[in-house]
Amino acid sequence: MKIECTIDGKHLSLSVNSNKPLSLILMEEAGNQSLNSRCRGNNCGNCIVLLNGEAVLSCMIPAFRLRGADIKTFDSFQKTRACHDIERAYAATGSKPCPNCYAAKTLIIESILQGLERPDDSQPFPLPARGRVQNLTEELDPENIIQELELNRCRCMDSAELLQIVNIAAGYRRRRRVRRN
Amino acid sequence: MYEGIRSPAIHTPRSVSEFISTASHYPHAVIWAGGTYIMGRPNYYPSDGLTDIIYLGEIADLKKITRNDRFIEIGSMVTASQLLNAGKLVLSDVLLDTLSKVGSKIVRKQITIGGALCTPDIRLVLPGSLAILDAIVEVKQIQGNKTINRWIPVSRLYDKDGQLLLTGMNLITRVRIGLETGNFQRFMMVDSPVHDPKRCVIFAFQCTKGQSNMSKAHFCFTFPTAGFHISRELETQLSGQPLPVPPQRINRLSFALTSEIHKMHPQVTDLQLERCRRMFEAVFHELNTEVLEE
Ligand SMILES: Cc1cc2nc3c(=O)[nH]c(=O)nc-3n(C[C@H](O)[C@H](O)[C@H](O)COP(=O)(O)OP(=O)(O)OC[C@H]3O[C@@H](n4cnc5c(N)ncnc54)[C@H](O)[C@@H]3O)c2cc1C
Ligand code: FES
Ligand code: FES
Repeated sequence: MKIECTIDGKHLSLSVNSNKPLSLILMEEAGNQSLNSRCRGNNCGNCIVLLNGEAVLSCMIPAFRLRGADIKTFDSFQKTRACHDIERAYAATGSKPCPNCYAAKTLIIESILQGLERPDDSQPFPLPARGRVQNLTEELDPENIIQELELNRCRCMDSAELLQIVNIAAGYRRRRRVRRN
Repeated sequence: MYEGIRSPAIHTPRSVSEFISTASHYPHAVIWAGGTYIMGRPNYYPSDGLTDIIYLGEIADLKKITRNDRFIEIGSMVTASQLLNAGKLVLSDVLLDTLSKVGSKIVRKQITIGGALCTPDIRLVLPGSLAILDAIVEVKQIQGNKTINRWIPVSRLYDKDGQLLLTGMNLITRVRIGLETGNFQRFMMVDSPVHDPKRCVIFAFQCTKGQSNMSKAHFCFTFPTAGFHISRELETQLSGQPLPVPPQRINRLSFALTSEIHKMHPQVTDLQLERCRRMFEAVFHELNTEVLEE
């Protein structure tokens, strides 16, 4: 099938099998440099990209869902200020992911930071209350942050290090937003 | 690579009736919801056998959540993330707990309720919790030009080993859950059903905790690749059980439970049995603690 989409800012017209996973499209058709994972269902979590701004496992997205999509991989994300916030936090803590999972972990951290800034907007149907009053969003407490990062199965960094990185990066992000406003 | 292989045709019906007419033309098509189970199969791509895909993502009716004062209805294409967010005020604790334990937020945004119920050969976290809440699902079975509409309890969707009992072309359109639930509910899980299916145990429990005894106990143990266990006999024995439950009685019950599971599900490992005993006892200790604190 023919699909038109944008990958790392480049508008592409691709002719691919309708069920081909985005991860393979990126590696085989788009010459992507940062992705190198073919775990065949082992859930390695190394194939994260941003699809229309949201983090996804690219091996779980078929070509037929990519019409008109905007895909950002680590190739272009690493040149952004958003990435700089996270890389500064790596430098500040003195720990960073290994080359294998660097791209994926960094993009997961980005999605966590976005979640902290912009509480979940996936609520399609406001419903009337029943009994208990709770916050309406999936808040990101430390447990949730670790749950997100565990999507990447590489275990070279411990939870405490990862939490520290997320907190420091969130601080940089907040300060940058305040300055901009 | 593999571009020589025939590319599956993608059908995107916009309504349930369009789905039915497409499905009757392509009875061997694969129903595609979030796609996370389908694409996670080791032999998913390239795949010779996959000729037609019916993608449910364009059917607006399957993405609705509605409620009245008796039940809530959830369309099968509602994602785990949407349900968790929309349902915070209406869903029972056991279901919220269950949903928040599914994978991570990134995958919850893709996993649908229908897909979580219909994985053919592995039982994941949602079915057990829906079963103890007496949830029912609407199933449209397409047989040639005929469509049979049925409401089936979630507890009857699987055999004792946890295999999905629906065969042929079946569409789950919505799940209905009653709003009246027990006042004591617990969800527990050890290890991940996706990463450690042979070690993982999933336990959902609810009952009504009265002044001096308990009633309407419902519970389900899920062993992802080895069993889906609901014990009507033990549930009946628990009905009317005086509270707090004496420790010896908890011991006897958990012994009866594990013997029953061992007999009925030979694939359940010793580790899973041990975990299951501990989880069952832990829930009763928590129940006793709540009763004594009141
Ligand atoms: C990294 C990762 C981690 C995960 N962790 C967990 C976890 O911790 N706990 C957990 O419970 N799950 C977890 N899952 C999800 C689980 O493995 C399944 O992939 C998921 O439940 C399938 O949902 P889906 O919407 O993607 O379904 P699909 O993959 O689209 O479909 C699954 C099956 O159901 C059929 N189907 C789908 N919808 C319908 C319908 N409406 N009517 C009839 N048949 C239908 C399909 O034909 C297919 O056979 C995880 C998944 C991933 C990728
Ligand atoms: S390639 Fe391993 S999870 Fe996507
Ligand atoms: S390989 Fe990535 S942290 Fe270990």
